[in-house]
Amino acid sequence: MAHAHGFGHNSPGGLLRYPEKPPFPLKEYSAHYDHIFEMMEELEAKGEILIHRITEEHQPVEVFTRTGRIKLIPTNKLWHHKSCGQCGNIPGYPASIFWFMNKFGLDYLNEPHQTSCTAWNYHGSGTSNPVALAAVWLRNMHQAWKTGYYPLIHCGTSFGSYKETREQLIMNKELRDAVKPILRKLGRLVDIGDGKERIVIPQEVVHYSEWVHAMRYKIKELYEKEGKAKGIDVSNVRVAIHNACHTYKMIADDYPYDPEVFNGQRPAASTAVVKALGAQVVDYSTWFDCCGFGFRHILTEREFTRSFAIQRKLKVIYEEVKADLIVTHDTGCTTTFEKNQWIGKAHGMYYPVAVMSDVMFAALACGAHPFKVVQLYWNCSDYERLLEKMGISNWRELRKEWEDTVKYIAELEKAGKYDELMEFFKEYDLYEPYSRTSTGKPKASATANMPLFKS
Amino acid sequence: MDGHPYGYNLPISEKTKAVPWEEKVRIVEEVKSDFRFKEYIFGCLNCGVCTASCPSNRFFDYSPREIVQRFLEEDVEVLYDMMHEYIWACSQCFTCWIRCPFVNNPGGLVAIMREVAVRNAFEATKDLLKPYGRVLLKVMTTGNQLSADMLQPDFFPDWGPKMADNMENLRAKRLAIPFDVGKSVKTAWEVSLETAIEMYTIWRETGIFEMLEKLDPNLYNVIMDIVEENEERYEELYEEEE
Repeated sequence: MAHAHGFGHNSPGGLLRYPEKPPFPLKEYSAHYDHIFEMMEELEAKGEILIHRITEEHQPVEVFTRTGRIKLIPTNKLWHHKSCGQCGNIPGYPASIFWFMNKFGLDYLNEPHQTSCTAWNYHGSGTSNPVALAAVWLRNMHQAWKTGYYPLIHCGTSFGSYKETREQLIMNKELRDAVKPILRKLGRLVDIGDGKERIVIPQEVVHYSEWVHAMRYKIKELYEKEGKAKGIDVSNVRVAIHNACHTYKMIADDYPYDPEVFNGQRPAASTAVVKALGAQVVDYSTWFDCCGFGFRHILTEREFTRSFAIQRKLKVIYEEVKADLIVTHDTGCTTTFEKNQWIGKAHGMYYPVAVMSDVMFAALACGAHPFKVVQLYWNCSDYERLLEKMGISNWRELRKEWEDTVKYIAELEKAGKYDELMEFFKEYDLYEPYSRTSTGKPKASATANMPLFKS
Repeated sequence: MDGHPYGYNLPISEKTKAVPWEEKVRIVEEVKSDFRFKEYIFGCLNCGVCTASCPSNRFFDYSPREIVQRFLEEDVEVLYDMMHEYIWACSQCFTCWIRCPFVNNPGGLVAIMREVAVRNAFEATKDLLKPYGRVLLKVMTTGNQLSADMLQPDFFPDWGPKMADNMENLRAKRLAIPFDVGKSVKTAWEVSLETAIEMYTIWRETGIFEMLEKLDPNLYNVIMDIVEENEERYEELYEEEE
C-alpha cells in the first residue's frame, strides 16, 4: 500500500494521525493533501500561523477521511458559521441543527458577527479573487477563535471553498503575504507576545454534516426515546442519498468515509445517519452526478438546472428505486431538487419525491415540529406523503398550529403592538436572538439600525 | 475551416479574430500567471473521463478536456475565444477534478479564466452577468449572498404555486422561526454593521470594487451609495460611543 506516511504515523504536533491499519480499501496513491497538516505545524513553529486547536472541551469524535487519516470532529462548544442559502431559502435547515444542539444540551454561539463565505458569488460570477476569499475566511475564523468557540460550517460550498483556501494558504507564501496586510487593518492578526503576527487557521475545517455523522448514534438514541414515543417509524422509508459536490469532490481527501458505508468507497456522512435511524438507503445509478445547481445556472440558466435535475436525478431516483425521499447535505442541492419538480408536469416528467437535508429528516424522526422547527411549509416538494409514511399523521393540525402562530405575529406587528410581540417571543423562542453572542446585541445591522423590530 | 483541428468544434468568433495577437497573449498569460494555475494542471492523457462525467457537457457545447488540452498546447486563439462564453457553461461542481487520473482541475482553471474575463471587462461577461446583479448587490453591501426577499414568485414561476404561498406574510413567518436564522428578510441573518464594514475593507483592498466598476458601472454606483451610507452610519455610532 503506497501511502504518504504509512499507517500508525503521528506527526510531531499530533495534527496528522493515521490508524494502525487501513480502515477500508484505499486507492493506491500518496495523499499529498494530508501533508498540509505537518506543514501547518511547521508554520506555527515559525510564528506564521496560530492553529485553532480542537480540545477536550469540544468533545471531539474521530472519523476517517478517504485517505484513512483520522479527522477530529468537534461536537460541543461550537461557533455556528451559517449558510446564507439555508437561512434565506431553507430556514428549517439551520433551525433543525440548532434544535439538535438544544436537545443535546450543547454549548454554542449563533452570532451576527459573520459574513457569508462569498464563494457562491465567486463560483457563479468570478467577481472576486483568492486573496479576497482568503481574507473573508480568515476574518470569520479569527472571530470564532476570539470567542473561544470552534467553527462549524453549515454550507457545503463554504466548506469546500474553505478547505481549498486553507490548502492554498498553507502551500503559498505569496497568498499569506498578500492577505496579512488586510487582516492587520482589520485587527485580525494575533501576536502571542513574541512580536510575530499570526494568521488564525482552524485545525480542521468542519462541515455540519460531519457533526451529524459524528453524532449519529446519539441521534438514534433520541429517535428511539422521543420519536418512536410519538408514533414515528422510519423503517419503511426508502431514502436516496445525494452527496454534495463541494463537500466530497472539492479537496476530496478531507471528508468522512467509513467501513460501514459501502466499505469506505463512498462518502459516509448522511448515509450513515440514515442507516443508524433504520431507514432504507436505496442505491441508484446516477449517485455520482451533481444536482444541476451550477451557481449561476440556478438563477440565469434555469433550463439547464431543471433539465439536469429532472433527467439525471429525479427521474432516475423515482423510476429506478422508487424512493420516498432524497436526503441531501447542502444548500444548493436541496433547493434544486425540491424547487424543480413542479415544472416537470409541463413535459410529462413529474417525478414527485420529498427532498430535505439529513439533519431535517433526522429532526423529523426525533419528533421535531415539521413546520415550527423543520419549516416544511417552505418546501415545494411532495413532503406530505413522506410525513404520513413516517407516522406523522397529525401534520395537518401541526400545519394549522403553525399558520395560526404566523397570523398572530403578523396581526400584532401590523397593529404596532411591539411590546406584546416581545412578550410572546419570551415564551416562544427556543433561542433568544443575541442573548449569547460574543459582544451582546450589536448596535446596528448591515441593513437597519435596529435589528428585528422598529421599537 | 473554422473549427479547431484537434476537437474544439466551435468556430473562432470574428471578434476574437479582430483582437491583436499581443492582447490575446496578454490575457492568456494573465491566466497562467495566477499562483493556482500550476496547481490545477499537470499532464493529460486525453482520456476524456472529465468530459464524460461533466454535467454541463450533457446540455452545452462544453468540455473540460478541451480546457486542459488547449492550455497544454498553448492555443492562445482558442483560449481567448473560450473566455467569452464557453467557460460560463461550467457548473463548478468539480466532478472533473475528482475524476481526473492526473488530478487536473479544469473547473479550477475555468474559475481563473472567469476571474480574468471579469477583471478585463469582456463584453460577453457583462451580458452574461447582467441577471446576476441582484446577488452582487446583496453580497457586496451586506455580506450575505442570498435573502428571503430575493425569492419573489415573479422571478421563479417555474418553481410552482407553493412559492407564492411561501411569500405571503413572509416577515411574520421569519419572525416565527424559534431560532435566530433567517429572521431578517433582507439578509440571511442580521449581519452586524461592524462586520459589514470589515468586509468593505476587504473588497477595497483586494480590488473587488474596481472589478465591479468595470463590469457594471450602474450597479457599482448603487453599491457604493449603500457602502458609503453604512460607513457614515458606522462612524456616527462609533463617535457616540467615544
